[in-house]
Amino acid sequence: MSQAVEASIPGERVTLAALFIGFLKVSLLGFGGGLVWARRIVVDQQRWMDDPEFAEILTLCQFMPGPNIVGITLCVGSRLRGAIGAITAVAGFILVPWIVGLSFGGLLLQYAHLPVLQKALGGLSAAAAGLMIATGIRLLMPHRTRRTALLFAALAFTGMVFVKLPLLVVLLGLAPVSIAVARIASARAP
Amino acid sequence: MNSPSASLSLAAHLVLLSSISFGGFPSVLPDVHNFVTANGWLSDQEFANIFAVSQVVPGPNMILMMSFVGLKVGGIPGAIASAFATFGPPCLMYYTAHRLWDRFRDLPWPQILRRGLAPLTIGLVIAGGYVMARAADTGWPSAAVTAAAVGLMLATRLSPLWILIAGGALGGLGLL
Repeated sequence: MSQAVEASIPGERVTLAALFIGFLKVSLLGFGGGLVWARRIVVDQQRWMDDPEFAEILTLCQFMPGPNIVGITLCVGSRLRGAIGAITAVAGFILVPWIVGLSFGGLLLQYAHLPVLQKALGGLSAAAAGLMIATGIRLLMPHRTRRTALLFAALAFTGMVFVKLPLLVVLLGLAPVSIAVARIASARAP
Repeated sequence: MNSPSASLSLAAHLVLLSSISFGGFPSVLPDVHNFVTANGWLSDQEFANIFAVSQVVPGPNMILMMSFVGLKVGGIPGAIASAFATFGPPCLMYYTAHRLWDRFRDLPWPQILRRGLAPLTIGLVIAGGYVMARAADTGWPSAAVTAAAVGLMLATRLSPLWILIAGGALGGLGLL
């Protein structure tokens, strides 16, 4: 117990190099599910913080825009070493994998016109789209009993896909109403 | 095509999108898709290729995907501009929110905000998947691959990596 508290005291300095390398690992290992690796490395392996603390950062990041995993990286870095820690952790997460990924991917795209590669990429893309739809369905499951939630999910889908509205318009149009409905629902709840 | 003004207008658009990308970057894919195809920068197929490649390289794949779009529009400078436009604004927001978190963590409204925004972001993520499936669509076999990927992901504990490899292999063998 006291150990967990100690681990979160900034006085016990985590080195910037350790932060950089830790999040470089999260980034490279985090194939498809960076969150799993972020928790594993931050909580289990390095013991930089305990589970409740990590969960709190996760909660904060989940309702912010942007790639949540980058947000988690930034918050852990900031929690441990302030602004410089935040920058170091994000740099660790992005810099090396970005250079490697861009070179390797750029090379692949150079040859994308070759029929075999074109077809392989087409199959991959179709499968990846399916994974994304499945992720959305998974996320929707906890809300399946809230009829208004299903309605707003359907409206956002329709606005983007069929009406082809810009994202800003969809969000500005729907978010205030959806938040107001959530507000009313939570006021009614005991 | 390699014009600096195109890179700038892409980056400006990405700054706006990343600032409102609740639910992560999958939710902005339909908008990016409309934007780049309407400007004539990328074809449907090129966009689908970029999506596919960014799924098989490890690391921050949505940042990479936007960088590939930037690379196509404006070369390396375009790629760097797109990367910063994708993660810069959210990082500033995360940092500010993290600093202020202690003050508003116990108030009821973050919870209400989340409950209100969650259904929208979920609808947007599914829309992202749907739009990408349409961009990759070359007939019923590729639609079947998408459907099978949805089914396998929901019903089994198979690693997503295997599902991607299977899709790529089916395509590479000329079955799609």
